[in-house]
Amino acid sequence: MQKNKSGQMKIQQMAFMLIAVTLFFALVGLFIVNVLFSGLKESATVLEEKNAILLASKLANSPEFSCGDSFGTSRVNCVDFDKTMALKKNVKAYSDSDFWGVSGIEIVKIYPLTQGNTLCTVENYPNCGRLEVLKASSGTGVSNFVALCRKENVEGLVQNKCELAKIVVTYKDAGS
Amino acid sequence: MRQKRYEKGRKGQEENRNFSNLNFSGKRKSTKAQEEIVGFALIIIIVAVVILFLLSFSLKNSEKESVESYEVDSFIQAALQYTSQCEINARNQSVQDLIFDCVDNEVCSNEMDSCEVLNSTLRGIVGESWKTSQNTPTKGYELVVKGNNNEILMLKEGNATNNYKGGLQSLTKSSDSIEISLNVYY
Repeated sequence: MQKNKSGQMKIQQMAFMLIAVTLFFALVGLFIVNVLFSGLKESATVLEEKNAILLASKLANSPEFSCGDSFGTSRVNCVDFDKTMALKKNVKAYSDSDFWGVSGIEIVKIYPLTQGNTLCTVENYPNCGRLEVLKASSGTGVSNFVALCRKENVEGLVQNKCELAKIVVTYKDAGS
Repeated sequence: MRQKRYEKGRKGQEENRNFSNLNFSGKRKSTKAQEEIVGFALIIIIVAVVILFLLSFSLKNSEKESVESYEVDSFIQAALQYTSQCEINARNQSVQDLIFDCVDNEVCSNEMDSCEVLNSTLRGIVGESWKTSQNTPTKGYELVVKGNNNEILMLKEGNATNNYKGGLQSLTKSSDSIEISLNVYY
């Protein structure tokens, strides 16, 4: 009878121990899965962000926006303001076919800030501060610095004039 | 008398037997304790391995930095193309040209010193692009322009924190070499 009781106690102890060990490993497993998945989500966001920043740079250097050799030498991170203004008129063809794969493209002047936040139109060009190439409805915006260059007539002489601007690209979030 | 001696002897034998029993259970307890210590050590090792695994995962996040410093590099490239107010040979000089003019001590057509124009232009560009305050992500910046290894311009604003992104651009024109470095503190 005594031996029987002690055996039962041992079985109970083992059962409790097994439950405790299972619970412990289940909790550790949950913790690891949680960390792994949060990292995965974060890395997806970082990748999306990186792609968007690179896309901003890629867009600035694409034939539709880039200065090319129009301003003397070949330039990087240079947006041709005159060309972009002309592109704005025909942007529907690009937006309909989702040519750039983004929901919005905007060019914002940083320096000099003489025209403030005035939206660029054919009437006020080039005395404006913001050019909306592709109007974004929603999404996350990332930006990159670019030189915004145009040709200017100064006392009968055509001169190159470059200002500092940011190209803002809006992309749809991975989750949405 | 004989009876007494016999009883004493019996008692002694019984005590000896009990003592050896005690010794045996002590040994058993000691082995059990050792087993428990080994189990405990195993659990600690498992937990340590799990923690190390998690730590290695959390310390792997250096990719974001390289993406963000790309922005500083782009800024330097764009700022170098900015057209300044300094006119030399009927042409407004870009910041890049202005740096070389400053190294060569050139004077603009409006009698302004090229280094002065460079200073005011870069101050405006950097100040407007990286606005520093306690409420903005950018806490400070430091721009250094070196010409032939001599510092020709240094702009510093805000606080220098341990978290910063940097960019470096080197330019060469005939015998002059220029180095522009920018650190943005977050």
